[in-house]
Amino acid sequence: MRYTSLLACVFVVAAGAVACSTVNKEGEKQQAAQTAAAPAVTHSVTVAARRITESQYRHTIADVFGPGIKINARFEPEKREDGLLAVGSTQLSITSGGLEQYYSLASSIADQVLDPKIRDARVGCKPADPAKADAACAKAFISTYGEKLFRRPLTAGELDARVATASAGADKTRDFYRGLKLSLVSLLIAPEYLFRIELAEPDPAAPGQSRLDAYTRASRLSFLLWDTSPDAELLASAKSGAIETDAGLKQQVARLIASPRLEDGARAFFTDMLQLDAFESLNKDPATYPKFSQAVADSAREETLKTIVYQLVDKKMDYRDIFTSNETFINRPLAAVYKVPFNSTAEWASHVFPKESERSGILTQVTFLSLFSHPGRSSPTKRGVKLHEIFMCQPTPDPPPNVDFSKVQAIENGTVRTRLIDHMTNAGCSSCHGLSDPAGLTLEHFDGLGQLRTLENGKEIDVSAKIGTTSFSGAQGLGQMMHDSPDVPACLVRNVYDYGVGRSVDYKQMPYYQAQTKAFAADGYALPKLYERIVTSPEFFKVVLPAGAKAPDVKSAAAQSASTGGK
Amino acid sequence: MTPRFNRRSMLRGLLGGSAVCMGVPALDIFLNANGNAWADGAKLPVRFGTYFWGLGLTDTPAGGTRWVPVKQGAGYEITPELASLAKVKDKVSVFSGFRAIGDGKPNVVHWSGHASILSGIAPSMTGSFEGPSFDTVVADAIGGSTRFKQLDISPSGKSLSYSTRTGKAFATPEITAIDLYGRIYGEGFQDPNDPNWKPDPNVMLRQSVLSAVTDQRQALMADVGKADQVKLDQYFTSVREMENQLAIQLQKPEKCEACVVPKRPEEGKRGASVDIVNANNKTMARLLAMAMACNQTRVFNCVHTPGSSETYIAGDSKIYHQYTHDEPTDAKLGYQPMTSKLAGLVMQGFGDFLNEMDAIKEGDGTLLDHSLIMGFSDTGYAKIHSLENIPILLAGGANGKHKAGQHIAMKGESVTRVSLTAQQLVGAPVGEFGAGAMKTSRPISEVMA
Amino acid sequence: MKRLLTFGALSVAAIALACGSAAAWTRTYAIEWNEPAMYYGAKTGVIDPGADCPDGSNHEPDWVQELIKAGYTPAEAKWLRDPANPSRSPVHGQNQMAFRGKDRANVYMNPTSTPESGVFKLVSGKIAEGINLDGDEKTGFISPTGEKGIDNAFYKTLGCWKTYRGPQRLSSGALTFNDSMREGAWTIVIVVSGKGADPMNDSDVDVGFYMSGDKLVKDGKGDIAHDYTFRIRPDAKYEALFKAKTAKGRIVTTMPTDKIMLRDPSYSRDLELLKAQVSLQMNPDGTLKGYVGGYRPWLPVYQGWVGARGPVIEALTWVRLPDVYYALRRNADYSPAGAGGEKTHISFALRVEAVPAFVMTPDASKEVAAVESYKAAAVPPPAVPAGTFRIIDGLVPDPKVPFGDSLKVYPVPATIAAATAQNGGQ
Repeated sequence: MRYTSLLACVFVVAAGAVACSTVNKEGEKQQAAQTAAAPAVTHSVTVAARRITESQYRHTIADVFGPGIKINARFEPEKREDGLLAVGSTQLSITSGGLEQYYSLASSIADQVLDPKIRDARVGCKPADPAKADAACAKAFISTYGEKLFRRPLTAGELDARVATASAGADKTRDFYRGLKLSLVSLLIAPEYLFRIELAEPDPAAPGQSRLDAYTRASRLSFLLWDTSPDAELLASAKSGAIETDAGLKQQVARLIASPRLEDGARAFFTDMLQLDAFESLNKDPATYPKFSQAVADSAREETLKTIVYQLVDKKMDYRDIFTSNETFINRPLAAVYKVPFNSTAEWASHVFPKESERSGILTQVTFLSLFSHPGRSSPTKRGVKLHEIFMCQPTPDPPPNVDFSKVQAIENGTVRTRLIDHMTNAGCSSCHGLSDPAGLTLEHFDGLGQLRTLENGKEIDVSAKIGTTSFSGAQGLGQMMHDSPDVPACLVRNVYDYGVGRSVDYKQMPYYQAQTKAFAADGYALPKLYERIVTSPEFFKVVLPAGAKAPDVKSAAAQSASTGGK
Repeated sequence: MTPRFNRRSMLRGLLGGSAVCMGVPALDIFLNANGNAWADGAKLPVRFGTYFWGLGLTDTPAGGTRWVPVKQGAGYEITPELASLAKVKDKVSVFSGFRAIGDGKPNVVHWSGHASILSGIAPSMTGSFEGPSFDTVVADAIGGSTRFKQLDISPSGKSLSYSTRTGKAFATPEITAIDLYGRIYGEGFQDPNDPNWKPDPNVMLRQSVLSAVTDQRQALMADVGKADQVKLDQYFTSVREMENQLAIQLQKPEKCEACVVPKRPEEGKRGASVDIVNANNKTMARLLAMAMACNQTRVFNCVHTPGSSETYIAGDSKIYHQYTHDEPTDAKLGYQPMTSKLAGLVMQGFGDFLNEMDAIKEGDGTLLDHSLIMGFSDTGYAKIHSLENIPILLAGGANGKHKAGQHIAMKGESVTRVSLTAQQLVGAPVGEFGAGAMKTSRPISEVMA
Repeated sequence: MKRLLTFGALSVAAIALACGSAAAWTRTYAIEWNEPAMYYGAKTGVIDPGADCPDGSNHEPDWVQELIKAGYTPAEAKWLRDPANPSRSPVHGQNQMAFRGKDRANVYMNPTSTPESGVFKLVSGKIAEGINLDGDEKTGFISPTGEKGIDNAFYKTLGCWKTYRGPQRLSSGALTFNDSMREGAWTIVIVVSGKGADPMNDSDVDVGFYMSGDKLVKDGKGDIAHDYTFRIRPDAKYEALFKAKTAKGRIVTTMPTDKIMLRDPSYSRDLELLKAQVSLQMNPDGTLKGYVGGYRPWLPVYQGWVGARGPVIEALTWVRLPDVYYALRRNADYSPAGAGGEKTHISFALRVEAVPAFVMTPDASKEVAAVESYKAAAVPPPAVPAGTFRIIDGLVPDPKVPFGDSLKVYPVPATIAAATAQNGGQ
């Protein structure tokens, strides 16, 4: 209840704008008058506007309207920031070309939702006369679906504007449903849907402090754990304020984590963290790697996600084991690349890499090996760099300009190790290559597609390495090194948190990361436990006011109306 | 009008002033801060067409190719069977090596190739697709505001179109120039200069959708940080650009500079020999090009000759289709000589078509510069109905979006990547195209500006 | 397995017995190309004159003359061959072409209703690919590598026909059918297993050819990808088992199999071989190449071409189908009934190229470890969907004329005959 009044205060601005700038409909006047007369309310501040991702869009539409809705559109590219697209998404907007795409998509979704054959159940009410406007029915429809799409109840202004659209459309076309379609399209192209608008409000428990409002909390939980908009139960707990209590939050978190839909959240997170979007532009030279195809690329991506979901979500295994486990999943194209029989009649089958395959852990899957290679050969440097960046949160600076690449490119010359020695001994290069290359060289028994080999240009490949004082050999040695590295779980903790809150590392939070990492260890490095700890920690809902934003404060509605009404 | 105006009141009140076919006098109130939103909104519209010819081009496993250029990228050389494109070569990209992938479905001869290119799905049987042809998706995206959402022609005289929304029912094309003329310029034709004009009610409906969004602008922008403000500003700028485009469509069309209503053509000869088909094709191309310049349509499909083309050289008893199958590869030449000759003659049709479009000056370029035409065929090596190396060409600048004049060689890649590229170049809202092994979300970025 | 012993054939029984003991080694493959083994005797081109066919591939008949010979007037014959004639269709061919036998009989159904043309040339060279089927070095051809006694009367008979003639993997027939197979129309896998310690030299080897329902997959270069997995699909018809040995990696039959059936790369689909043998080389790169040979019934070969639409085949492959009938009948060289019996079969070899593959038992649970028959496990194949064409008597009923009429002789319209007569002299 309290939240409704909180929201209303935000919308007084909208109502005011409508009232002064447009047709002065009777209803709007009344609405403005009502809101103006509301009791003291708080003033919210937008702390972030995060464009929803393609998969969040798809999941939301499927959840709101059913899985049958077809979505075919070109989504605007995303941007990686500090290792994560989720962090970059806070900087993205929608261009005019993008809006056209969203508009067409919205129109196509609305057509499917309001398909005459099935619309009755979805609309939930019937117009008195289908050839005329019916504001009551339209209002019911818009408020029901608006709440699901905007992830909070619609304000009076938002609702009324769309009821007006529906009515005007119905009048013009003599078709209630065409009017309704217009209002649905306007919901689907609204910034309140396409962006996750995160709001902060004054913290009643701590005067002068802010906190995320209840609906923003619900969204953070839902998008992190399920990669979709909050469901009805979560919205209800936001509405009642339960989510703002410890018990209420824990109850929701337990429910979300226990659900099979946690898989969606984990897939989305690891797709981001492992940079699987790189598959979109992956090319291999067909002469060198004839077995590579789009089917192999798609399969490799799925193999990695299936393995992670199985080990970390289903089996709740120790996160570090993904670097050493010899269990994976394969299909027919992957079996050909791994040179093993595919012994299943199903599309996918579990597979245990035998010892002689030299494979264990996700670093030895086609995904990592092929993504971080060149089109025609492997790249110990790329693999080493990505290994540190993705799994240890240790990005490598760009190489210095004016590098002489001639030595590295003469590939007919021995193994890559002999070629890279130059990098590791050259003072300008060694600080980075000395770190990246040894790790990458241990994976050299796998070519640029990830196929096992022991020779390069007729020479035995040496896969030994020494990092610091640790010596190890081959992919299995590397996997063990990763498994034992304290940086690896620490990096996951950081990524989960950053992904969830959409912000990159804030060094002031280092103690938080350290504490969480310690707890993660205590929990046996189980991912669901990590999720649970992070989303129930106060830091997950901590407000970081963006530059230029005023802190939320409590004002009287009358004062606010006066100050904004004339805009 | 109240002394203080806003966009909505302006939009409601405005019903005059700008054009679809040419640059418009600036209404400053619509310009964004940078002054570029308007210019974009008034840009010449992009047009899209598919152009099909039967039996591919000559490329034999025993010998050399007669169409695939050696040079890749920009500045490819003109090969014998592409000779008719020489004049517009820099506006045409050539795609070689692409294949239709059956996913275990049989090669439905003279059908699987173009069914795959257009629908993205390998067909199970001849005569139907298993999804819509993508030109209809493009027509939905860009063809809604013109008199004809799309026009279909079939100059070979066979009533044949591969454009379908259902996969089962195909468009009925115009098969003679006279019929095409009547359809475009006969009853219902409005000269763009004609003062008798009414706004399209659908545009106003779209406006009301946007106004529901913009109504909330102030509420949304009330208390945001700087970075978010910039983002949301960008969003609302995008909305405003769309509103501008709609406003333009609500205004009486101004004179279309390039539009010159053509004369009624002479009755053409009927027949399947390649000279007659090409003559009809050229006349129909001219009528169609002008229909686009006069803003009657933005999307078209042309079937020059069907999949198993029955065209022939007048006086020869053997048809093209038979030559492709029965003519041996000449040992010295390394290709099938008559087949190649016929391929060149058939391609003359495409050259003629593009030249007609390029002859219409529009804005600072030509109609071709503001269009994208996908030329393609049903097969690669026609002798065996090969689904590999099916020739596909993208012609026209697509309003600067197409980095034309390149040869893209990608052996073994799915034809649907070119289809997806074409759709995206003309702004169709399509992120993914095709099914099974031909499913792709990767356009060919090399040709996308 | 044991039930198979009830089969009378000795070789089948022998193989069934062999299954009981485990193989020491197994190699498995998928056929990526197969075509009748036709040695091309010219150095260049695909139809050029060569040692095999000194006149080059058989020439294109003059169909106008053929029709005149069959009793049509020159004007009628010309009109029938005019592309502007609406009865000509690239889909249906031209059904009128069938009725050039005595009393306008359908020559596809009654090939002897028309005489031989006399210009259908046979192979006159000495070299052929294939296998010495009868063990007699004095009969037959010499192989390209000098092996004597190669029996391949099929090659001798049809080796100058454009459909079959051409360099390896380039004849038009081979291209057409292999393209279809490589696009997934069918898959054949090969299992080779032996009991000795050295696969390259093993006196006790079994070879099995099986169908698989898993499609071939093309790699990035357009070749058939190596190392894919294929499940055997038990087939009541198509299966071939051989007793063999290896020497320096070449697998050769030790006892011919009485009868096998393979999926033929042709319109007729059935390749039945009596006294079947193999000669296959295991290459160091993991591939396999060689021959499957034996005596095949020749009439189905002829009928296969007729059934593929007589008029279309004649026009596209430059052949008078009755010539094919006469030539096969005359050159058939084997009778299952013994030396004095009717020669219903002709010696033949199929050239086979295969890539390494994983071959699984039908349930996919494990790799096949030995050669055995799966026929007993065959389930009836799903009903084949109605094809694009319905072919009757070698003809496709033309939908433009009342049903059945196009399967009969129908006269050239008098008006057109008259009209063309006027222009005919030009």
